[in-house]
Amino acid sequence: MDMRDEAGVALSVGPEQVAGEARIMEPAVAPYDEMITPGQDVRPHYAALANRLSTLGAQELSERQRTLERFFLLQGITFTVYGGESSTERIIPTDLLPRIIPSDEWTKIERGLTQRLRALNMFLADIYGDQQILMDGVVPRELVLQAPSYRREMQHLFVPHQAFANVCGSDLIRQPDGSFAVLEDNLRVPSGVSYMLANREASKRVFPGTFRGAGVRSIDRYPDLLLATLKSMAADWRPDPQVVVLTPGVYNSAYFEHAYLARLMGAPLVEGRDLVVHDNRVYMRTTTGLRRVDVIYRRVDDDFIDPLTFRRDSGLGAAGLFNAYRAGAVVICNAPGTGVADDKAVYAYVPEIIRYYLGEDAILPNIETFLCRDPSQLSYVLANLDKLVVKAVGASGGYGMLVGPHSTQAQREEFADALKADPANYIAQPTIQLSTAPCLVDQTIEPRHVDLRPFILCGDKITVTPGALTRVALRKGSLVVNSSQGGGSKDTWVLDDAGELRP
Amino acid sequence: MMLARVADSLYWIGRYIERAEHMARLSDVMLNATLDRTEAAYEVAQIAIAAVGEPDPSKAANPYQAALALALDREDAGSITSSLAKARENARQVRDQITTETWERLNLLYLRLTGPNADKAFADGSSTFLHEAIADLHLFKGAADATMSHGEGWRFLLLGVYLERAQLIGRLLEVCFGDARRGPITDHFALTSLLRMSCALEPYLRVYTADIQPRFIQEFLLLDEEFPRSIRFCTSRIEEHLSSLTRHMDVPGQVGPERLAGRLKARLQYADMDELEASGVSAFLSSILDECAAIHRGLYETFVAYPLELRLPA
Repeated sequence: MDMRDEAGVALSVGPEQVAGEARIMEPAVAPYDEMITPGQDVRPHYAALANRLSTLGAQELSERQRTLERFFLLQGITFTVYGGESSTERIIPTDLLPRIIPSDEWTKIERGLTQRLRALNMFLADIYGDQQILMDGVVPRELVLQAPSYRREMQHLFVPHQAFANVCGSDLIRQPDGSFAVLEDNLRVPSGVSYMLANREASKRVFPGTFRGAGVRSIDRYPDLLLATLKSMAADWRPDPQVVVLTPGVYNSAYFEHAYLARLMGAPLVEGRDLVVHDNRVYMRTTTGLRRVDVIYRRVDDDFIDPLTFRRDSGLGAAGLFNAYRAGAVVICNAPGTGVADDKAVYAYVPEIIRYYLGEDAILPNIETFLCRDPSQLSYVLANLDKLVVKAVGASGGYGMLVGPHSTQAQREEFADALKADPANYIAQPTIQLSTAPCLVDQTIEPRHVDLRPFILCGDKITVTPGALTRVALRKGSLVVNSSQGGGSKDTWVLDDAGELRP
Repeated sequence: MMLARVADSLYWIGRYIERAEHMARLSDVMLNATLDRTEAAYEVAQIAIAAVGEPDPSKAANPYQAALALALDREDAGSITSSLAKARENARQVRDQITTETWERLNLLYLRLTGPNADKAFADGSSTFLHEAIADLHLFKGAADATMSHGEGWRFLLLGVYLERAQLIGRLLEVCFGDARRGPITDHFALTSLLRMSCALEPYLRVYTADIQPRFIQEFLLLDEEFPRSIRFCTSRIEEHLSSLTRHMDVPGQVGPERLAGRLKARLQYADMDELEASGVSAFLSSILDECAAIHRGLYETFVAYPLELRLPA
């Protein structure tokens, strides 16, 4: 059964998230190190942790690593690897050293993400509404309307607060100069937030003293903020809206997360077979009969939520769900069709989208992206094929991609022809250098590449949780943070203002 | 109000937990009894083998192998490990409905029994191994009792436990006193072992003293009001939980399983041992087992797999 809500593997990486491949480059410049300055000094916000680490021997560190792993195993925070007859459960590789972000850097990230999501939601409301931005030629019409993730069915539908993407998980990276940039926006069904919460539980156990002293901002409120966001999407005349979490089921790799969020929100965790649509109203089958459902936080992909509207072979959704949504009798979060705003080619236009709707410059920059549809950019790309990563817009999973520094002359020539034949189908980006953070590898502390995925909620207002999932490429030198490729995660401490001053 | 699928899962967690515990106890008693190489010990092994539903009585000749298979054989759907795996899989599906404390107990036990050291641990000390499994299952029930809200979900869990228990004890009594048996068990050692298999030896002694008679055992395991493994006790709990569950129903009128449970409870409550002996315990036992099965079906028709037409809003 092909049931993929967000990820082939638990930690992240949906079909849209192939950006990992772009990170397999040799460093052109030294990466930014999260803990150590180029002058080999410890950055001030890492001082307390560095002190603590210097008092711990290798033995003690690996003891703590085992405590951590045991915590995850006991909690059942595992994903199942199916292979042949047997299936094994594994924990997500987790590194015990936290990644620390000082408050001034976080303030900028928070403002940048808020701005970005506001603009993207306005963009979605526009392209499913009057399409003004397409009329004005800011974003090419065919780029949006021909994208497979554009859902014609969503046109002119009322979405409360124009909040199409209610839960967003953006992938940020830190460039060699120390500034953060957005690598991609995940507006479909982003995952990983349970690992953010579970990592925090674990790191409180592993470094209680350092944690207390550091002044780490709390992320505990994420579940109730999520619930408040979802409730804010319900119609005003439903005073106590029933919120449910829709999961593809226990065999989904992110099932743990679905159950975790449902439990912490106190919302029922439903599967498609628990839902019944009658007379454009959605009900769930309970022990005492049918109960009305108002808001569905769905962790099932667009394609699978309603066999009557989308894929007919889907058994994961509920027949008639989309019609009930059209009729305004239920709210689906995130709205179907949000994926078009995190499309590879649309990504390149996000700074202009922000300028168009908000009249502001993007606070968090994009990774420089060359659109081959533009003749001058095309000629630049053709001249620098050996340095760039070229991706086909429509393709995913690494197909139709040229990794310049690793390519042969023949491959580049072949790609140059393809580019000239259909330039609109390609974008190019420079090779990307991720920052590094200290990790415990085989009892020693070594730098490994990391990225950052904060989570943003958007209902009647936008909230950025002061924390994030930091994904780690645990293989030495690797720039791939995806859990399918030896990636792990670690806790992320966002410090409050007074944090660095405390003893 | 809870999801029908969730109620179903909780019910089956209860059943599998109880089944695993019963199987562990049967194996333990069998292994202990067969340390002696007597005729009575062989009889105990035969009772245990028959009570776990093993069709091949020759397995009693090698109790250690039988116990090992019953404990750890993943292929055998009735083994302790299989039951626990199914209980845990159900718990995983309703992970949002049970408390972390409850989940941890079950998960830990499962990880130990399926871990790489399980075979060695069994070989090193099968009795300790089984004892610990039973103790862990008691911890699970204790954690459920102490940390879960005693609401609908908890009642479905306990319904599973008590229905399963009533059926398991009924089956054990059927093996020992049913018509299929050639003659009643009279051997003192075998009777004591039977009491151990139902975890009833100590409570029995307090009521009847060390006078161990088949008739008293039947009376105790069938009709005792207070012993938690007597069938009367189980049916009284089943009735209690069912009537509490049906109180929330918005369908008017008497529903199926509640009526069945009430009748079964009354039958056991007002039964008379002399009359039972005269009319035959065996027939009584099989009618009780039939009614337990009917309650199980009624539960499904009322709470889980009800026809939608009857429940749609007008």
